[in-house]
Amino acid sequence: MLQYLVILLDDTSVAYCHAENPLKERYLISLNTLKKAILFGMKENLMIQYVYPEYDLPKEYSELIESIDHIKIGHDIKVYNDVTLSSTAGTAILRTTVADFISKQYDIAAMLSQVTRLIICLKDAELFQDEQIEQYKKALSTLSAMVLNLRKSDYQSEVNILTDRLTLKEMHNCGAGDSNITLAPNGKFYLCPAFYYDEKMGISNRLNHHKPSSERSVGDLETGLQIPNPQLLKLDHAPLCRICDAYHCNRCIWLNQKLTWDNNTPSHQQCVLAHLERNAARTLQQQLRAVGLNAGEEIKEIDYLDPFDVREKF
Amino acid sequence: MSTIRKRNDVWHEKMAKNITFIVTKDCQLACKYCYLVGKNEKERMPWNVAKAAIDYILDHENDPNFAYDSVVWDFIGGEPFLEIDLIDRICDYIKTELFRRNHQWFNSYRFSFSTNGINYASDKVQNFIKKNYNHLSIGITIDGTERKHDLNRVYKNSGRGSYQDVVCNIPLWIKQFPHSATKVTISSADIPYIHESVLHLYGLGIHEVNINCVFEDVWQNGDDQLFEEQLMRLADSIIERELYKNFSCSFFNENMGKPLDCKLQNGNWCGAGRMLSIDAEGNFYPCTRFAQYSLRDKEAWIIGNIHDGIDYNKIRPFLTLDRCTQSAPECIDCEVASGCAWCQGENFDAAHTHTVFERSTAICKMHKARVRANNYYWNKLYRKLELDGQREEFEANNAHVKPEIS
Repeated sequence: MLQYLVILLDDTSVAYCHAENPLKERYLISLNTLKKAILFGMKENLMIQYVYPEYDLPKEYSELIESIDHIKIGHDIKVYNDVTLSSTAGTAILRTTVADFISKQYDIAAMLSQVTRLIICLKDAELFQDEQIEQYKKALSTLSAMVLNLRKSDYQSEVNILTDRLTLKEMHNCGAGDSNITLAPNGKFYLCPAFYYDEKMGISNRLNHHKPSSERSVGDLETGLQIPNPQLLKLDHAPLCRICDAYHCNRCIWLNQKLTWDNNTPSHQQCVLAHLERNAARTLQQQLRAVGLNAGEEIKEIDYLDPFDVREKF
Repeated sequence: MSTIRKRNDVWHEKMAKNITFIVTKDCQLACKYCYLVGKNEKERMPWNVAKAAIDYILDHENDPNFAYDSVVWDFIGGEPFLEIDLIDRICDYIKTELFRRNHQWFNSYRFSFSTNGINYASDKVQNFIKKNYNHLSIGITIDGTERKHDLNRVYKNSGRGSYQDVVCNIPLWIKQFPHSATKVTISSADIPYIHESVLHLYGLGIHEVNINCVFEDVWQNGDDQLFEEQLMRLADSIIERELYKNFSCSFFNENMGKPLDCKLQNGNWCGAGRMLSIDAEGNFYPCTRFAQYSLRDKEAWIIGNIHDGIDYNKIRPFLTLDRCTQSAPECIDCEVASGCAWCQGENFDAAHTHTVFERSTAICKMHKARVRANNYYWNKLYRKLELDGQREEFEANNAHVKPEIS
């Protein structure tokens, strides 16, 4: 069920997830389109998430933006593309590479004391290699040690790839096209911003070799949403994910399509990363319990990192 | 012993890796129902590509993707026997390498062919057969009576029917491979000839006739009724002439037409992804049906090549496919679901998105017609056996027949 409407206010709105925003030229959503988008959100009962560009919007946009409950990504929620120690309260998104996550693990751990929630997003998850498993585990344990220390000091530090799994009792994934939908400045809907970027960059959608096209939209404000095969975006139609208990995993359908060519099938990289995080969360849980802190329902020990390898058992 | 003839077992089914060489995309024929929309005379597999593919596969003996007890080396086209010299060289190299490497597949392999049969009797093909006889599976496609066969199976340049050029080779084929089966394809135009065609093939001495309706969306209004009538006529003839004792026809299967459980009977129908197909460029596919010459609309689903190996992310969707995830609710709830087949490649080609998880239902009404005729067949057959005092014996002898899907 749709719950969120993500509105890209400009083509240069900040990237806040796996995909980089390759668009460099400003293309501000028109006031008329924005008005219609807000109306759509109101009628469909959707929470609106505005995604801001780095420049200041014209004043006439403010009144419209403030006319409905919303979250401002890029404003209320800061997005960092590099590890920083600037003081920020609240929630922040850190977009980093696997290599930087490993090499800057102590700096990232230090960020945890400056925010209430840090959302770490790997920009190049698709390049993760099994040879990096041990290094990634080590970096996770560094963050985990910081979370443990902060919580011992009664500071409820959160970091998505470690602490989300502690509290989740079922899958809580990105939900692109299922629980949220993105509206681009052109007035068209996309499963998520990454699909809009692909369309703008002319990346083929592999759908019809006779008529190569980069068209990725799934409807527009005039005709409404038309998502083909919407069932394949849902958990119960994802054979690997529905048996999985890495509940915090992004289950990024854009990465799925990019790496496995099917929306409902995660790549080896995505599964391994999510399970390394899940297992690190399990260790953290045991450590929190050992010092008498609440750490959610027990996360069980498993002997695999990719559910694909044990799919026959389920 | 009284029995109903069952279909031949597939050699090492589920224990064998299936590896397909698309040796050519050329064929003498231009069959009207052929799904190969991109046949051409240019794409012939060079020896160095075939050798590199074999080397890659045998170099990865310990890879889970090749961890099978046995192997079926499949050669298809177009028409594979157009490239008999290449095939002969490939097979010699495979045998030599299996021996040299002391590979687990040594002496546990088959060379498999599906041919139009036109040059079956040629010296080169016959020499190849003699050389590899104990490791061969060869199926010749003959569609039935001359008018049925020639309705679709025509020469590409002249449009002339190919029946006479094929039927003359059937006696030699049956002599060499007495247990062989033929594959018959049904499209809309040739439904009226099903009854006569199956009986004709039996008359030629072919004891197993495997028939399927094409999976593409070609069916016209009324085709299902006509199909049902033909199958019922066929059922009458098989029972009245007691042909069921010595001949089989895949249309009739006692376990077909039952509801299926989404937990206990959730397997995928086909082996796409478990197979490996290689084309003239050295590209790998999860099955031949995902090569570009087989696809009307979609881009080829290439899972790797002889230089870079297999991209295992690209076969994950295939290896996680199950029946219910790819099926529409009408298929999941279908009261006669068992035995309803699908082709993963056709599903992909017809899908609304780039997915193998959208099952085409183009064949639905034909399957239901088949189920009705199948029910008629078994009810009539068992009544006859009852009246002849043979029912208990037949039932006991056929208790081992496997269901079509599990």
